Amino acid sequence: MALPTDDNADTASSTSTYVHKLPEPFTTSDLVVLTQGAEGLVYRTTFLTPNTPCVLKYRPPKPYRHPTLDKRLTKARLLAEARVLVKCRREGLQVPAVLGGDWEDGWLALEWVDGRTVREVLDIWVHKLGMRARDGKPDETTGGASEGDVEAQKKEQEERLWEMMRKVGRAVGRLHEIGVCHGDLTTSNLMIRHERSTQPSSQPSTENVRPRGRQTVSTMREAAMNGEGPPQYPSADATSRSNEPEDLLEGAIVMIDFGLATQTVQDEDRAVDLYVLERAFTATHPAAEHLFQEAMRVYGETFKGAKKVLKRLADVRLRGRKRTMIG
Amino acid sequence: MATVRTIVLPHYPSYPIHVCMFKDVSNAAFLRSQLLEANPDFDYAFLDAAMILSPQHLLSAAFLALHCTQVARAKTRTAHSELVFRLHPNNNIGESYRKFGISDKTSALIAVKLALKPETTAQVVAEHLGEHVKGESADPGEALEHVGMWCDVGKVRKMYKLEGVGEPKKGKRGAIVNGNASDMDERKEMESVITGIITLKGS
Amino acid sequence: MIALGLEGSANKLGIGLISHPSPNKPPIILANLRHTYISPPGTGFLPKETAAHHREWIVRLIKQAIKQAGVRIEDIDVICYTKGPGMGAPLQVVALVARTLSLLWKKSLLGVNHCVGHIEMGRAITHATNPIVLYVSGGNTQVIAYSENRYRIFGETMDIAIGNCIDRFARTLMIPNDPFPGYNVEQYAKRGKNLIELPYAVKGMDVSFSGILAAADLLAAQVGDTVAEDKRLKTEEGELVTKEDLCFSLQETIYAMLVEITERAMAHVGSKQVLVVGGVGSNLRLQEMMALMARDRGGSGFATDDRYCIDNGIMIAHAGLLEFSTRVTTPLEESTVTQRFRTDDVYVGWRND
Repeated sequence: MALPTDDNADTASSTSTYVHKLPEPFTTSDLVVLTQGAEGLVYRTTFLTPNTPCVLKYRPPKPYRHPTLDKRLTKARLLAEARVLVKCRREGLQVPAVLGGDWEDGWLALEWVDGRTVREVLDIWVHKLGMRARDGKPDETTGGASEGDVEAQKKEQEERLWEMMRKVGRAVGRLHEIGVCHGDLTTSNLMIRHERSTQPSSQPSTENVRPRGRQTVSTMREAAMNGEGPPQYPSADATSRSNEPEDLLEGAIVMIDFGLATQTVQDEDRAVDLYVLERAFTATHPAAEHLFQEAMRVYGETFKGAKKVLKRLADVRLRGRKRTMIG
Repeated sequence: MATVRTIVLPHYPSYPIHVCMFKDVSNAAFLRSQLLEANPDFDYAFLDAAMILSPQHLLSAAFLALHCTQVARAKTRTAHSELVFRLHPNNNIGESYRKFGISDKTSALIAVKLALKPETTAQVVAEHLGEHVKGESADPGEALEHVGMWCDVGKVRKMYKLEGVGEPKKGKRGAIVNGNASDMDERKEMESVITGIITLKGS
Repeated sequence: MIALGLEGSANKLGIGLISHPSPNKPPIILANLRHTYISPPGTGFLPKETAAHHREWIVRLIKQAIKQAGVRIEDIDVICYTKGPGMGAPLQVVALVARTLSLLWKKSLLGVNHCVGHIEMGRAITHATNPIVLYVSGGNTQVIAYSENRYRIFGETMDIAIGNCIDRFARTLMIPNDPFPGYNVEQYAKRGKNLIELPYAVKGMDVSFSGILAAADLLAAQVGDTVAEDKRLKTEEGELVTKEDLCFSLQETIYAMLVEITERAMAHVGSKQVLVVGGVGSNLRLQEMMALMARDRGGSGFATDDRYCIDNGIMIAHAGLLEFSTRVTTPLEESTVTQRFRTDDVYVGWRND
């Protein structure tokens, strides 16, 4: 039997979905929905100045939850996320800055990160280099006419990809070093910042800042599980943004979406973080496993105790309680 | 007439923010006394310009002051006192005024007026401040880009305990790997932590 | 095709007979009998006593079911029994009877996963085609989604099962076991109104209930008329906290945890349907919360009533018959039982979506 609600749940059309009244001072008119995950809604808007794009995360009240409990949880989770982000910025880590927020009303405004997710970049690269699954080396059989040139070029491009992986390893290592575990480290929650050639104040108006590859925890993780690419958003700035893979790899690695992050120095938590990341990489492409190993090599050198975490990762992998769930 | 610049915050379009800057101010004691007497004609946030790092720094406190007033969660009497209060990392109102407000000796001043009523126009503010602040008016810039020009970065760093944040060279591993951190980058880095600290204040 | 289903993985002994007329027609329930072992107040059911109960009742119940169904022995195609998961001794009793009948009547034998039984029965009754399944009972707490011939576990409890948590909470507060602790907790909760803070432990898609029990021990010592007035727990307004308030708080907290992880799974998979199965699924507050969540997501919530969500033989017969239709049977020498049997270990050959 279908469970009864005030109106017929079966006929509750998709049009009535996600109708939430935003807290003051926000109105839907100047907000663009990026994602609608289980945790809440994510919008793009501007904050403090009309030229400062931002990500607005809103956790609407859950109708099923006792209001007191709901307020308590919303507040605790938003605060935890904001505290972790501020801590990271203090330590010089690349994460979105906290621009504003209101725990009672359930929203958090974060710095907009212009760039692409590692997931997107990997997809482009793996495709371009035609990587072999066996050893992660470029597949010679796909070489073009002038073999020598192409080979040299590929080698150089490949090196850039490895360098990106080292940056990933370093970024995650630093995060763990300062006592933070991300809680949902997928390749979609790692971004490569698009290096700005202009000052932020002269950035194009919000109309031109289109969402790209930003999703919530849930949708991303699911996509990663299925080995799917992220959904494509309409992109008005396609022309203004370089699609040359070489340029894509240049920026700094920025970790995003700390909604499930915790402050912990436990090896177990750190190892699980790495395990989630490993699953996300291998789901992208078999060749990515070798890339991941490079990231882990660098991770192991990042801080004292990192090697111990890598040993623990082997345990977590073997235990594989989550294997059936993620795979 | 003082030079006034008006900023409209996204999401709070009905409450413009008027900003004036003065240097070589000689009557700070008088201005401060007006605040202490709670003279309604002097309902401004008078800030020590040495403590304001950047437009984002000022505006994030202004936004929260406005927001807290609008949703009835302000901790102080007026939106302007709330602004001064919001700038400080801790919850002590008196301390906020001592650190961010003007003292009798302040010579570089930022005056902020939150226009909660439509009749509070830029013109009114420019005339009133021009008449009562004894000092040389300076232009905050169209987007308030000059707001941080009299900032004592070291003092701000100490206030928010930002040792090492955005500082080149002696930065820890991982901080600004790309090197070549200019003054702008240093302030940007500090600002990105400060807006977070201000937001998290009191919770 | 007709199947006899025998279920006895916990304190309920269930015998069911089901007919699948043809692949395109709904199944017909011919008989659905159940007898429950109720343990003395203040205690839980133990393997030895539960097994004895099943031994005592199983033959009587099977005879009665066949009579009620009006089928002849020769009409039965397969005998299905619960292979696991569950308590060892009771499982063995039922498996032994299933093997005996298989040899006696010369029928095929099929060992069924208890959780898969719940899922398939829920789907059949509610017509939810591809829902996210919340399976909640005395021994299980899982969020399940179907993908590529497996019921995959997205989230589960990291320690004790929800039903176990409720039972032990009830025992701590000296709430009776009859008809079952969860029912009594639900009735108490209806009269409670003050929300007392209890540990809310959700980590990603997993939940934990052990902290609640620890808190319950502390709280139990501060409520009830036998406690001195000055030692009693009071609300911020100075009201005395009652057992009813604690039951209310328990339900509000643990069901919110379950609904939260279920919602997360729905968001992952992009599913609009949610189905609650298992004994705890009969709780009306859980059903209400699930429906509110589903509606908020523009979807629908489904649940079955006591006949099907509480352990029963029909679900074993039904899931068994589905598997039997893919030409799977359990050879006699493999007709064992297992206390641990993961839902995702079963190859779901009868679904091809």
